[in-house]
Amino acid sequence: MEPKSTTPPPPPPPPVLGAPVPYPPAGAYPPPVGPYAHAPPLYAPPPPAAAAASAAATAASQQAAAAQLQNFWAEQYREIEHTTDFKNHNLPLARIKKIMKADEDVRMIAAEAPVVFARACEMFILELTHRGWAHAEENKRRTLQKSDIAAAIARTEVFDFLVDIVPRDEAKDAEAAAAVAAGIPHPAAGLPATDPMAYYYVQPQ
Amino acid sequence: MSEGFDGTENGGGGGGGGVGKEQDRFLPIANIGRIMRRAVPENGKIAKDSKESVQECVSEFISFITSEASDKCLKEKRKTINGDDLIWSMGTLGFEDYVEPLKLYLRLYRETEGDTKGSRASELPVKKDVVLNGDPGSSFEGM
Repeated sequence: MEPKSTTPPPPPPPPVLGAPVPYPPAGAYPPPVGPYAHAPPLYAPPPPAAAAASAAATAASQQAAAAQLQNFWAEQYREIEHTTDFKNHNLPLARIKKIMKADEDVRMIAAEAPVVFARACEMFILELTHRGWAHAEENKRRTLQKSDIAAAIARTEVFDFLVDIVPRDEAKDAEAAAAVAAGIPHPAAGLPATDPMAYYYVQPQ
Repeated sequence: MSEGFDGTENGGGGGGGGVGKEQDRFLPIANIGRIMRRAVPENGKIAKDSKESVQECVSEFISFITSEASDKCLKEKRKTINGDDLIWSMGTLGFEDYVEPLKLYLRLYRETEGDTKGSRASELPVKKDVVLNGDPGSSFEGM
């Protein structure tokens, strides 16, 4: 067994005149770590207790919304079980048929198809409104707005086909405008707007 | 926030002119507003722009489901889209929660339709019995 060589590594070559010098010198500062590594220097994270409280509140409201939706579907089933009138509908069958016929591939439509759609559309409207209302309540509002419908669409996977119909950007703009009017600080750069800790104060110009 | 009632049970027609034709692509906003009301508490309000958004979304929903059902019929070499095709499409496109309630609804609808369609046919044997029994008041006397 050979003895280990303890010779030190060769010294670095002398700096070449005019060569760029890295600044700050390598190893001068430890690399930033943690969730706030990408935040701008202006950013000051709130105390962890406040963050935990807001996260818990958000989770609780989401759980409540999920429970409400479960009740909603159970209620829909119960409502249908007791349906006796199939002659009068809350939505016009002729108009539903007209929208279906707008697809040129559609040839014939059974009489029962618009009847099923009338009920399906009713459930769709109720679900979308429920989800939108949950968003309005989160924002301490008692008026359902277009931005709430957009938020409901953005949050719900099955509503992906609607993202171009009610664009989310408009909703963000509306919320941002409302926040500015109310004097609420802007989200920090590089952090998602949904992050409850993503706010810092900007000096008025 | 009160909703205006639009005379007819199912909402009025599209109306004349270019605007009416444009509105034919959507379901009546008054009907949509009435349904939305049920999902909002008594003290809640519904902005007009949110009703208009939902109005557009519903039309898109109908087109989305219809397109999938139409493709299914095309593959199966059938010409007519029925209720089962629509329910199948909803399940396929992620609306699983809609499937069971709508299956029940369609079954109940077919049962009631079957009753109303079968009622005339079922009347004949009863009246024939009356004729066979020699009831002079029967309208089938001359048969």
